[in-house]
Amino acid sequence: MQIVVDLNRCQGYAQCVFLAPRVFELHGEEALMYAPAVPGEQHEHVRRAAAACPVQAILVGEPAGDGAAPSGAGGPADAGPSSGAGGGRAGVDGR
Amino acid sequence: MSTDTLFHRITDYAHRADPYPLYAELRENGVARQEDGSYLVGTYHEIAALLHDPRISSDVRHLTDPGDALLRVGDLPPSFIGLDDPEHDRQRRIVMRPFGPPHSPGRIDALHGDITRIARELIDAFRGKDRIDLVDDFAYPLPVTVICGLLGVPREDVPHVRAWTNAVIAGLDFTPGTDPQRRRRAAGEARTAMAHYLEELAGSRRGHPSGDLLSALVNDAGPEGQLTTPELMTNAVLLLIAGHETTVNLITNGMLTFLRHPDVLARLRDEPELMPSAVEELLRYEPPVQLLPQRTPLTDVEVGGITVPRGAPLVLVLAAGNRDPLRFADPDRFDPARQDNQHFGFGSGIHNCFGAPLARIEARIALTELLRHLDTPRLVEDPPPYRRSPVLRGPRHLLVDRVGGG
Repeated sequence: MQIVVDLNRCQGYAQCVFLAPRVFELHGEEALMYAPAVPGEQHEHVRRAAAACPVQAILVGEPAGDGAAPSGAGGPADAGPSSGAGGGRAGVDGR
Repeated sequence: MSTDTLFHRITDYAHRADPYPLYAELRENGVARQEDGSYLVGTYHEIAALLHDPRISSDVRHLTDPGDALLRVGDLPPSFIGLDDPEHDRQRRIVMRPFGPPHSPGRIDALHGDITRIARELIDAFRGKDRIDLVDDFAYPLPVTVICGLLGVPREDVPHVRAWTNAVIAGLDFTPGTDPQRRRRAAGEARTAMAHYLEELAGSRRGHPSGDLLSALVNDAGPEGQLTTPELMTNAVLLLIAGHETTVNLITNGMLTFLRHPDVLARLRDEPELMPSAVEELLRYEPPVQLLPQRTPLTDVEVGGITVPRGAPLVLVLAAGNRDPLRFADPDRFDPARQDNQHFGFGSGIHNCFGAPLARIEARIALTELLRHLDTPRLVEDPPPYRRSPVLRGPRHLLVDRVGGG
């Protein structure tokens, strides 16, 4: 699983840090840091964090062809990965 | 300038079970001045803009009728929910320090095991019963136990907390014809009693920390320092009441919604990994906090083509915004896999629900455990009897029959 946070959308609500504290971290009061490659035991935490993001800024990508890929094609039209956040992978899904 | 009676009708208890047609009417009418001088907003984009507008004050001291201030404790200062920045920000940061990131990032996540254990104990206790009251037997005791444990309230004092909270919530009943003086007085006395109780409890932890939030608030200090004693009292009351009242309704509204949608219930049993997204949809579809009645414009503000004058009570009907067809496709449909679900279930902006992460975990675990252990649950009455408050809306009882099962 790979994740991208659209930092143009992120407003620092920190809900992801509560729900997946091993993947997302606040650097200081507001800057978000995260590990883009998510280890297996954190997948469930990350899915919860993505569902809970108040501005839906977390894009979760499963490897293409993986049967566990999220259903529903694509997220909101304006939720593409921001430049500098390292995204653009095939199979990235705005979930 | 048009005047309307929508607020009157929304607060009327007769509409508590299904206020949604009134909310649709509100969205169609646009922003309208009510007969009592307040302004009601029910469309998504207008609510979103106002929640992020620094000209809209949350300071309860700006209210035309401060007697109705939510959760105000006697002569104590407002808690951070009733303050504007920078004072709101300072107090919220101090209280956040032992609760969440950046200082305590893993605290809520670590409660997962405890919450699951409490949920299973409650479910075990009604094994063998053919009929349960989901509110009294489960949805109420679960969050009360969790928040009391988190704050550091001993288990034997929980009945006092329940009694005080009931009196405070009864004070939020805006139903026309009820005696406002009496309910305000009773609610005020309960808040004051709760504040003094929590002050004493926190005092006993000074120098003797026991790992809970009250201990941290009196023993630790970050860059902002500590809360003063009056601030500690008023914010502790806020955490204790807001920390469970709304979660009761989230869990109960959740089971009610699932029971009304058997296809959804079956799907969530097959796909429990869908529960986080189902909880978000519940927060949109049946939000525990229906409206924010206590905002005040600090200057004339234009909303949806109407000028809301400085000082007029502004009521943001979050539950109406959550079903705005201009924002959500097919908004009256409950879709547990809904994408792009930026609901107002926890508000938005600087006052975004402090306890949201805790509520999410509690609701997810509670509903998952209920679906796992309740075989063929059946709703006894629909609609169920509702609690009085139009603000914190939810069933007072939810009787569920169990056919078969263990």
